Amino acid sequence: MKTRRHILLDWLEQDRIAAENLQDALAVAGVFPSAANWRRFLDQLLLWLGALLLAAGVIFFLAYNWNDLGRFAKFGLVEIVVVGALIVIWRAGLENIAGKVTLLAASLFVGALLALVGQTYQTGADTFELFAAWAVLILPWVLVGRLAALWLVWIGLLNLATIFYYQTFGGLFGLLFGADQLLWVLFVLNTIPLVVWEVLARGGARDRWAIRILATASGALVTALAIYAVVEWRGSNGLGLLAWVAYFIGVYVVYRHMVLDVYVLAGGVLSIIVVVTTWLGTHLMKSGDAPGAMLLIGMIVIGLSAAGGWWLKQVVNGAKS
Amino acid sequence: MSTADSASLWAQLKQAGLVEGDVPAETLAVTPWYIRTMLGIAGWIGAMFLFGFVGAAFSIVMKSAASGLLVGALLCAGATVLFRARPNGDFFNQFALAVSIAGQSLIGVGLGQLLPSQIALIAIAFAALQVGLFLLIPNFLHRVLSTMGGIGALVVAFSDWGFYSYTQAIVFAAFGWAWLNEFRFAGRGAEIRPLAYGLTLIVIVELVTQSSMGYWRAGWMGRGQMAFIGGALGFWIGAALIGAITVWVVRKLLLRQGIAISRGPGLAALAGAVIVGLISLKAPGVGVAVTMLLLGYANANRVLTGLGMLSLLAYWSYYYYSLEMTLLEKSEVLVCAGVVLIAARLAMKRRWPIGDGEDARHA
Repeated sequence: MKTRRHILLDWLEQDRIAAENLQDALAVAGVFPSAANWRRFLDQLLLWLGALLLAAGVIFFLAYNWNDLGRFAKFGLVEIVVVGALIVIWRAGLENIAGKVTLLAASLFVGALLALVGQTYQTGADTFELFAAWAVLILPWVLVGRLAALWLVWIGLLNLATIFYYQTFGGLFGLLFGADQLLWVLFVLNTIPLVVWEVLARGGARDRWAIRILATASGALVTALAIYAVVEWRGSNGLGLLAWVAYFIGVYVVYRHMVLDVYVLAGGVLSIIVVVTTWLGTHLMKSGDAPGAMLLIGMIVIGLSAAGGWWLKQVVNGAKS
Repeated sequence: MSTADSASLWAQLKQAGLVEGDVPAETLAVTPWYIRTMLGIAGWIGAMFLFGFVGAAFSIVMKSAASGLLVGALLCAGATVLFRARPNGDFFNQFALAVSIAGQSLIGVGLGQLLPSQIALIAIAFAALQVGLFLLIPNFLHRVLSTMGGIGALVVAFSDWGFYSYTQAIVFAAFGWAWLNEFRFAGRGAEIRPLAYGLTLIVIVELVTQSSMGYWRAGWMGRGQMAFIGGALGFWIGAALIGAITVWVVRKLLLRQGIAISRGPGLAALAGAVIVGLISLKAPGVGVAVTMLLLGYANANRVLTGLGMLSLLAYWSYYYYSLEMTLLEKSEVLVCAGVVLIAARLAMKRRWPIGDGEDARHA
């Protein structure tokens, strides 16, 4: 967890390394990347940046809906780009990072192609169908690509499809199930991949950033459900609060005792602070003594966050020794 | 990093004659960025309730500039005393942080009443307050927030004076300078690092709020038209400065690495920086994000590298909606940039190959 950079800065702070020696010490310790490291880093940087800019350029071009270019020319253009990407993948192979990144770009091009279909033939299809079809079409590529970023794009597409679906049909279902139904669906949609990914990773450090993004999404959604339950107490049935409690008990057990990830625990502390503040705010502010209530809530927030910060630091620093 | 590992690192340094004595036994506690972020957000929430309490309980402070400034200054002074008295007390620090933010908010309200609609003056006074707090309060998180508050206020003042088109480049230059000198002023790490992080966050905020001239002209804080020194040319100059700063940072990094910039890899790297600089003329965010990634990698700072990736993605979506160019022009810029960068990668692979096996391992 503690890198050589941290250790050296630590020793500097303890006056065990003289300030004027720090640069040399960092060089000796190999903190500064070597020429070979730089070479590999630049390789990845140019590859990712180039592919992302190119993909964005193609999408922007189609979004512009240029009238001077006939529809066949547009279809031809996108199809050539997709086929070109597939040729690159075929040549490079999917074990190669260049192949993987090109697969990501190709997956974005498919979305551009679908958008072009919708733009050209006004089929009356809804926006959610575009994202749903996009997700379905690229699923085989996502499966063979084994690239964390591509999985996140795919899960993002499912989220978008769901949101647009509810924007179109939300009225009907909203009456039946309550307005927080979309939050529930999105919560389940992001929590399932989180659980599956964590089980498959078995606590490994690889692609932890992607797991953290999923954990952030699912934690934020369950927090929103809890807030919803708190402020619209009479309208909703309190299930959101129950789910929130259960979720963070689960988070504590998993991320404190099974897979140690203090990032997720810190998110949990923040969620508790936000929900407790909301609860106190809705119940105390009504009672007349608003200044007193605000002082009390402020102090509780400070106390909770200080205690949470202290605990998190204990966990981080206890884990290292 | 294990104890054995730090022992071998110590031995390495000792051999190089950089340290003396035995391995330091105890290591200081670390506070990762996400714990600090949580504390910062919670500190803000707590501060807003304290602010509300002061405002509601003593309504005079919200109505009279003098009492608002006085109470705000007292709160900031109290926070400074608390921070200095117990630099390592978790509860004290969190309480002092909230008190300080509440005090600063009161001072802001007081300044607004004292100097009605004098935006630049209010901003300069607020920035001066932040400089004082930055120097007096030896707390990392508070210094990051002070930097953001102070630089943000300066950006507002500069914009009011008509320098809006150059603020991004100015902040970006300060950002580059701070990270390049992180280790040079090693004894000043407690100041330079929070300064650098605060600048980084402001750079990212500016990246996604910079918008077209027409938009800013329409209404500058409800005061009618905003002046632009240099007019439309100013935006070109601002973008060109960002490109130039990108090249300057790369040159500095090469020199630090001890790589000759007149030939071979050094020259190629500099040429690459010039390409990114040219892309920045039409899409300044690309230069900013790439520089952030490079500085993060050069200083082995993973948080900074992560912020660089985040800013690239944020800029990508911001760029789509920005108004200065049509989508067609933007797509031309992006396609050309993408093709040039991929070509540069292929040229690099040809000229300085790395083994295919190695390539796959890092995939």
